[in-house]
Amino acid sequence: MKRSGRNSTPSMQLSLRVNGEAREWTIAPGDLLLDVLRREGYYGVKRGCETGECGACTILLDGKPVNSCMIFAAQAEDREITTVEGVAHGDQLHPVQQSLVDHGGVQCGFCTPGIVLSSKAYLEEHPNASEDEIRTALSGHLCRCTGYSKPVEAVLAAEHAATRKPSHAAHSHDIVGHNEPKVDAVKFVTGRPAFTDDIHIPGMLYGKILPSPHAHARIRSIDVSKARALPGVHAVLTYKDVPRVPHTTAGQAWPEPSPYDTYLLDSKVRFVGDRVAAVAAESREIAEEALRRIQVEYEVLPPVLDMEHASDPGVPVIHDEKDSTGIHDARHNVASVIHKQIGDVEQGFRDSDLIFENEYRTPRQHHCSLEPHITITWLDEDKRLVIRTSTQIPFHVRRQVGMILQIPVQRIHVIKPRIGGGFGGKQEMLLEDICGALTLATNRPVKMEYTRHEEFFMARSRHAQVLRVKMGFRKDGTILANHMSVLASTGAYGSHSSTVQGNTGSKVLPLYRAPHLKFDCDIVYTNTPVSGAFRGYGCPQGFFAQESLIDEVAEKLRLDPIELRLKNLIRQGDTDELSAQLGEGRKGLPRLIRSCGMDECLARGAAAIGWKQKRSARRDKKSPFQHGIGVACSMQGSSIAGIDWGSATVTLNEDGSYRVHTGCADVGAGADTVLSQIAAETLGVTLDKITLLSGDTDYTPFDVGAYASSTTIISGGAVKKAAEKARASFLEVAAPLMKVPVEKLTCRNNLVIDLDDERHTMPIAEVARHATYKAKVQIIESASHFITDSPPPFCATFAEVEVDTETGKVRVLHLVNAVDCGVALNPNLAEGQVEGAAAQGIGYALHENMQLDENGRMLNANFLDYKILSSKDMPKLTTILVPTEEPLGPYGAKSIGEIAINNPGPAIANAIYHAIGIRFRQLPIRSEDVLRAIHERESAAQPNFAEVSKSL
Amino acid sequence: MFEHVRAFHQPRTISEAIRLLNHRDGVACLVAGGTDLALRAGRTVTDLVDVTHLGLAYIKRDGRAIRIGATTTMSAIEQSSFIQHMANGILAHAAASCGSAQTRNLATLGGNLANASPAADTATPLLVLDADVVLQGLRAKRRLPLTEFFTGPHKTAANASLLVELVIPGPEPRTAWSFQKFGRTEVDISIVNVAAGIKLDRANRVTFARIALGAVAPRPIRAHGAEFLLEGRVLDQHLLDAVSEEAAQEIDPIDDVRASAAYRRELTQVLVRRALLECAARLERAL
Repeated sequence: MKRSGRNSTPSMQLSLRVNGEAREWTIAPGDLLLDVLRREGYYGVKRGCETGECGACTILLDGKPVNSCMIFAAQAEDREITTVEGVAHGDQLHPVQQSLVDHGGVQCGFCTPGIVLSSKAYLEEHPNASEDEIRTALSGHLCRCTGYSKPVEAVLAAEHAATRKPSHAAHSHDIVGHNEPKVDAVKFVTGRPAFTDDIHIPGMLYGKILPSPHAHARIRSIDVSKARALPGVHAVLTYKDVPRVPHTTAGQAWPEPSPYDTYLLDSKVRFVGDRVAAVAAESREIAEEALRRIQVEYEVLPPVLDMEHASDPGVPVIHDEKDSTGIHDARHNVASVIHKQIGDVEQGFRDSDLIFENEYRTPRQHHCSLEPHITITWLDEDKRLVIRTSTQIPFHVRRQVGMILQIPVQRIHVIKPRIGGGFGGKQEMLLEDICGALTLATNRPVKMEYTRHEEFFMARSRHAQVLRVKMGFRKDGTILANHMSVLASTGAYGSHSSTVQGNTGSKVLPLYRAPHLKFDCDIVYTNTPVSGAFRGYGCPQGFFAQESLIDEVAEKLRLDPIELRLKNLIRQGDTDELSAQLGEGRKGLPRLIRSCGMDECLARGAAAIGWKQKRSARRDKKSPFQHGIGVACSMQGSSIAGIDWGSATVTLNEDGSYRVHTGCADVGAGADTVLSQIAAETLGVTLDKITLLSGDTDYTPFDVGAYASSTTIISGGAVKKAAEKARASFLEVAAPLMKVPVEKLTCRNNLVIDLDDERHTMPIAEVARHATYKAKVQIIESASHFITDSPPPFCATFAEVEVDTETGKVRVLHLVNAVDCGVALNPNLAEGQVEGAAAQGIGYALHENMQLDENGRMLNANFLDYKILSSKDMPKLTTILVPTEEPLGPYGAKSIGEIAINNPGPAIANAIYHAIGIRFRQLPIRSEDVLRAIHERESAAQPNFAEVSKSL
Repeated sequence: MFEHVRAFHQPRTISEAIRLLNHRDGVACLVAGGTDLALRAGRTVTDLVDVTHLGLAYIKRDGRAIRIGATTTMSAIEQSSFIQHMANGILAHAAASCGSAQTRNLATLGGNLANASPAADTATPLLVLDADVVLQGLRAKRRLPLTEFFTGPHKTAANASLLVELVIPGPEPRTAWSFQKFGRTEVDISIVNVAAGIKLDRANRVTFARIALGAVAPRPIRAHGAEFLLEGRVLDQHLLDAVSEEAAQEIDPIDDVRASAAYRRELTQVLVRRALLECAARLERAL
């Protein structure tokens, strides 16, 4: 290795072999291998955490998996490196890659390259590895999408060269309802450049935000001259340099129900991590150095950290600016309040024989998408602002950036490439505005990304809540009144504040029929990281409280918890009137339950976990390991009724294939696949004939984006409508050619078929060629779609736990989810949604919590101390799809993306109670909390129930 | 992160490495596996000195003793059938619990010790095995008991010398050993870890006892008081209670984001008890 001294930055030559080819690179002696590999175009090596915890940057070094973020490039001298790009032989996938594609082992695809490499290396050395060994070998790969079941299943199958899992049942359809592999899976397993960061634009600058070190402060003075003077710095922006436009970062349909309380840059900072300034420089290092040279004098204000005292007299006002709008009561730090009622709960409680009430607490949870937020902006040849960004909401981003930067929507082009996980965290305009501002200031392409550390507290999180639930019952267990009162912290800004909390009421309370329902909620500002949308959207909090209380009541009434639920559950034909009261920040629409498989979910789930035997099993009281099982139920919605809408365009190509354009945003869950299946089914072509382009504001029609469990039902509905129209137009062309009336024709399997004589067919391709060159007509049809209802999917979850009563450790042994999502259009993908949500839900139940110190700084902003589960931590997962037929959904489908996150919390808490007789009403239930509670019980008989007793 | 590094050195001899590390011009930093180093923003570092080409990756027997080179990776230790069979495999077990497979393929035993984290997983097994560290200085080589090597959190007695080797004297024969680790999840830093070894005579009297505790004091420690309680006594439930309570009194844990000091104290007690029970079970003794 020679050192060369061509310029001021020291450099050296590195020779190594990458994917079998000799390479000679010039590097800096302090370069990490991850940075060098990505710089050299090996984009399959992903940047996920840079601390060796997530495994996304895994490569094989002389055949052994290592994290490339932890090794200096110079250490690779003379070594052999394999990246995911070197695994397949041409188009021939490695068995592990093929198996991941076939078994649904891929969702967002961001962690996939690492999993491919570790699996390949492990199987080569251990050809008969067991499932447990594979889980251990993969435990250094964090995946937030899959819950690991399908990747592990795929790797096991690769080992045994097993064939693809057949679809669940016989089908009346050719393509929907089948386990089609994800249409984008091959590019993920081969590490093709598909994500926001997988491009390099010449002249691109690196943008970086100076985060506030204080939870609450006013900027008295800010001097950026030293930063601007640093060579390589092209722009430094403070609040003095940018337009002041109040807005919300929440990615919601206009007019957004969230308050307009946020500014591109402001003279006041409201949480540790709030924007103070932004720089654009020629490298990350220069940008970071520039931040260090910005001199800020703060007037530090007392922070408001405790939501329970955020409205106390004399507490500092967080939003004292004059120009914010939509804040309920800024003087008392109240972002929003909700008071809605059906019937009269007070009357309901008077009529009740028994009243039960308790308080529950839930933590801040972070999304932990493996791909942190990232945005690249540039000016195109027409000087339009192009925003390539990791988002769930391309069209809202376009509108919001236009408003904030004061440029017409027409002058903005948002591109959503493949996204490395969203879970609601990317239903937020977060970096796009500031990145765009830096591009406008410099006329240069700018890239901005959060480091994993920044992502934790500078992005968004699930609202922490304190919930009081009070329920009135008849002696026989019939619920008469249900009153939930919630206090929630929205953090420093009110993004999604009223709507997430509205959902806590509207999706949770109506699960049980009761004549009297009431939901009260205060959402307060605190000087803490900003809350926002997160899978479940208020429901995990609400169901934790409600499903825990129901369990407590069942015990008091000496009823089986399943029986008590069955007695009260909402049923097909019922109308949920509370949803009419609780819309998206305005009046909503009632929900008519047209499909409901909840009874079957409970029955099949109970059978799968062995409910009867295990509830009554005798226990060895002397053993330190106690077992228990618990149940929880929930429902969600499918889209926001009357608000969410989407559209699609279907265009015939001359070869008989179709292009489908839709504005929806696949964030890794498989929307593009399911929409392609709907299009292919409707158009009568095979899946390979569909090319789907989504989430590009220049080339695809409008769609609100991927949130509120809306994609299948709304975007899918739009695709189906457009495809039906296109098929009709197509048949108009085919009819004279085949000399058969239109109504006697159908399309199937790439053929036009004469219904009266099925041997009389014509290839769709032939008609397409005729249409293009003879008839001279472009078959192109568009459709828009929305619905005025939000059909709920239903889910029953059963957890079996083992509690180590000496250490307090809770192990979940088995989690069963039985879900009614209508007709599962792709059962494998649907199961993947359930399993991934289950993993996040178990984490929420036992580990996940953004811990803040007394100054509002996050203490565990890394994957070492913010624990998300690995393949080795996951219990056995059983996923049961209970079919129903939803009349409002395309091909009978309802949503599946969110619901399964709601139940692990209460199901696990209920199982722990069954195991050790201690009720936990606060999440997460950490080992330490469990052990403390066991000791407290030993020292004093704790009053276990706050019961407002009435004589029976 | 390491933008001021002007040279990456890959010395081939120990003396060259030591010379580079002690060079007065600039700030030199040693690189082995890199798994701890890469976490630190080394903005002052000017020279990186890679010590993985010094021939220090080995596991060899020397009479009854075992010598392990400082740059032997955790994977190599975990997979060495020799280490797997030595002292009930406690060192292999500890190495296997050290982060993910990717980390263990890079991380070295010397790095785990020289980083001197109070939670270092391999420290407690090596402490109960009476291991010594061999330190090579500019002029002389010293051999130091591991107990004296750790001086505080991320502080060691290495000073200007390089940790080159671990020496484990042959484990006491007919002794049973155990390693216990408590983490929040399967792949985690230790909240508490415990290593223990005991030997019992025919009457179940303890004739040899070692207990070491990790993540509960400024450095990994031996529980001398608990060991003293064990020696010469009959191992029964009563003694287990007394010893595990004693061990929990010998520690000085901290409250942090991972666990409270009080919880670490309780875990210490439980893990010491479980370690000793496992040892007894390995000796096929019922208590």
